[in-house]
Amino acid sequence: MPPTVRAVAVALFLAAIALGLRTGSGISDARWLAILGAAWLLLIVALWPRLPAGLPQFNRTVVRTALVLTTIFAILSIQLVRIQVVQGDVTAQRVARAANGDSLANPRLQNESLSIRRGRMFDRNGVLVADTVRQGDVWARVYPEPESAYLVGYYSPLRYGNAGLEASFDDELSGRAANNPFVRWENELLNRSQTGVDLQLTLDANLQRHAHELLDGRPGAVVLLEVGTGAVHTMASNPNYDPNRLFTGNPGDAEAAGVYWERLISDEDAPLVLRATEGLFSPGSTFKTVTASAAVDSGLANPSSTYEDDGALVVEGHTIPEFNRPDDTIDTWTLSDGLAWSLNVVLARVGLQLGPEGLQEYATRFGFGEEIPFDLPVARSQLASTPDFLDSPAALADTAFGQGQILTTPLQMALVAAGIANDGVIMQPYLVSGTRDGEGNLTRETEPSVWQRPISSESAAQVQDMMVNAVENGYAAGAQIEGLVVGGKTGTAEVDNGEPHAWFIAFVGDPEPRYAVAVVLEHGGVGLGDSLAIARDMLAAAMAEETVP
Amino acid sequence: MIGRPTFRSTELQLLIAPSLLAIVGLLTIFLAPRGTVMWTWSDIWVSLAYVGVVTIISLSFSLLGFRGDQVLFPVTVTLAGLGLLMIQRLHPDLTAIDPDYAGLAQKQLIYLGAGLAVLWGTVVVFRRVDLLRRYKYTWLLLSLGLLAITFLFGTEINGAKLWLTIGPFQAQPSEIVKITLVIFLAGYLEDNRDVLAASWHFGPLRLPPLPYLLPMGLMWASSLMVLVILNDLGSALLFFGIFLAMLYVASGRALYVAIGLLSFAAASWGAFQAFGRIGLRVQNWLDPWQDPLDVGYQQVQSDYALASGQLLGSGLGMGRPWYIPEVQTDFIFSAIGEELGLLGAVAVLALYFLLVMRGFTIALRTGDRFARLTAVGLATILGIQTVIITGGVIRLIPLTGITLPFVSYGGSSLLTNFLIIGLLLNISESNRRQA
Repeated sequence: MPPTVRAVAVALFLAAIALGLRTGSGISDARWLAILGAAWLLLIVALWPRLPAGLPQFNRTVVRTALVLTTIFAILSIQLVRIQVVQGDVTAQRVARAANGDSLANPRLQNESLSIRRGRMFDRNGVLVADTVRQGDVWARVYPEPESAYLVGYYSPLRYGNAGLEASFDDELSGRAANNPFVRWENELLNRSQTGVDLQLTLDANLQRHAHELLDGRPGAVVLLEVGTGAVHTMASNPNYDPNRLFTGNPGDAEAAGVYWERLISDEDAPLVLRATEGLFSPGSTFKTVTASAAVDSGLANPSSTYEDDGALVVEGHTIPEFNRPDDTIDTWTLSDGLAWSLNVVLARVGLQLGPEGLQEYATRFGFGEEIPFDLPVARSQLASTPDFLDSPAALADTAFGQGQILTTPLQMALVAAGIANDGVIMQPYLVSGTRDGEGNLTRETEPSVWQRPISSESAAQVQDMMVNAVENGYAAGAQIEGLVVGGKTGTAEVDNGEPHAWFIAFVGDPEPRYAVAVVLEHGGVGLGDSLAIARDMLAAAMAEETVP
Repeated sequence: MIGRPTFRSTELQLLIAPSLLAIVGLLTIFLAPRGTVMWTWSDIWVSLAYVGVVTIISLSFSLLGFRGDQVLFPVTVTLAGLGLLMIQRLHPDLTAIDPDYAGLAQKQLIYLGAGLAVLWGTVVVFRRVDLLRRYKYTWLLLSLGLLAITFLFGTEINGAKLWLTIGPFQAQPSEIVKITLVIFLAGYLEDNRDVLAASWHFGPLRLPPLPYLLPMGLMWASSLMVLVILNDLGSALLFFGIFLAMLYVASGRALYVAIGLLSFAAASWGAFQAFGRIGLRVQNWLDPWQDPLDVGYQQVQSDYALASGQLLGSGLGMGRPWYIPEVQTDFIFSAIGEELGLLGAVAVLALYFLLVMRGFTIALRTGDRFARLTAVGLATILGIQTVIITGGVIRLIPLTGITLPFVSYGGSSLLTNFLIIGLLLNISESNRRQA
């Protein structure tokens, strides 16, 4: 074989193998085998022995036979590299589906997941909300608190994956992160169960249960958090699901889990989507707090600035009617009155005063359009669907009092209330306050951190006063709690597809603001009472919980 | 007494690694599922006995003055030791699934002992390779007779009629036929060496000499018959592969090999088409994932095992190879790939490669024409058999049921393979005696 032919064969062989291995799962097995076959022939060419002329025929043929066998062993090894290493992860995770819909997954993965003593989760009072118990020869996942379970998420190795905190903190819970590598290695060597790390939550299972009692099965959400830290104490969502029914510890559970799963994903109410963080609603009048904050902070107005409101406002031929004036004979109202009586015309005028850039800037500062950094997946709130929507004064006016194209999550609105209550500083919300060791001591604590500073503390104080005024003198009067300071804002979000959403956002203090809450009842109707009553009860319960030793 | 005592120091040194492998490996297998570090010597008596026996065999070779090759035996001991470990490791898990496997490990131990005895006996007692040549037709008749008996009275297992049942024992005659075939071919090709040189004209065609054509046709037909009647593609491929390799080595005509290969491929394709088995085999080879729960189940499970093994493997006793049906025989290489990883699997391949190359080296060093052709044939058996089964398991070629030499569970296979090594050792020494 001439040296040039050899060199070309070697180059082509290496190129074919490199290409085939690099492409990974990009090529079918059949095509890969064709490449490998060609590479094999090239390898024989490249290595074909040059034998001395005088060598007996027997020796020549034996050497050549040996060479062919050598190349075959080389090809075997290359194939092993592909199926064990290059394609290894893909194949190991691959789920095969038969024509009749039955599926087969690598039993090692499920076994691996079920052999881990997964980390538990405790609420702020030490109540177990996610537990791992021995069930035969596997560790089974159970969620003892039905009202907190869906927030923790589901854990369904090899079937439906995981969601919620089970997904966000999988590395800790499964022990992949946080554990000493030496301990992991020792466990593996001695075939002991890997133990995951326990999580300490900020959640209050009692409050969570209370929130569900108050919601009483109606679709909607309740988010209650500590304004000074961002620690979430309650995050109730309806509808929801039971993660206990998605866990399958033995093949016998699979069918029931499958039926339940099918039901969940085909349900039009989307119970797997948590309203509190992922549900996008029109905020209605609760957004007026943002507009008012913007006006005060930008210096365009103060709580006693007056606006004309004679029952309607026409903006570029679009009429904004006013149904909320408590006294139709009065045509001039202060900004504080506007917030207390939820006067659409007053806030529309404030919006027009701010202009599209002004309103947009403050909405962004409060987090609209931003991704809230949180322990669960969140939907992004929006001020408008299209960037130039607000350029129309009519649209700007609508948006300023909470209609238009605004969509927001209950978490976002709770953060608006919290930011106002916390002197203009929105703390980053969190549900996991740290990891726990075996004795229940916090090991790695979450440090509260600032997420946004939308307005100055002076402005925040003025908006707080206006919200307190709304509860003491305005429509939100039902939210008063004896001995505590409550500020709030009602909201009735008109929607195209049915009854309006009933909102209430509020904060409570003694008098220093402590907790903020956002409640939404999906298609809850115009009666403000229900969402307001829920918010009031939740705030009172949170404050009462705090005084319990 | 073969000769003056000698000290086989290379062999003894090369036995250190497999001895450690057997002892540490069995300890790992014993401790891994228990999660403890408590053990006693009796827990690993199997490996201690194995190490003891192979050491005694090596020392007896020294004392009896056996001067044959010193590498073959340690490599064989390594592979057989790995097989011992794998069967010991699979035994409890397989028994948990199916109590029929209860005797697996004990039986394999008996086979292993018998295999070592066969090797020792071949080297020390039976020393006359020339006898093999003298009675080559007898061997041929014996092999054909065995195959015929298998065909007539055989027991069908997994769709292939390979087994003879005699009382409590089951034997697989096609295993020993491998050896008789090699001996017959070596004798025949050697005896007819002179006539083989001449070509034969049929009109304008220059045909291979009749003595080539005749056995070629016979081999071709009988291999195909093994395939069709016994439904054993693995053995058919093996027989025909051995035949082609020996024919090429003896004649130096690559063309014969090419013609034989192509016509055999075409004929077996035709046979499979006629019997309707080709579709499933090819599907199972190229994409078993199409039908993962039925036809492709075994192959998909093997894919999972190998893929889970990654580079370093789960560790001996830490994987879950028992999900693969027939993991103790056809698919034992997948268990090795899972637990010892890519590195372990390639190392095992390297051991087989070493064994085959050592066989070829012995052939090259042997002066006797019959003996050296026999050595090539015997080494080729091990080589082709390894390629067929590992290639099938890792989906390089269509899968055919055949054992992985020295590692797979099975008495007939183990005895035959030890006999092959014994014969190779004999040939390596006959060469020295002549020199």
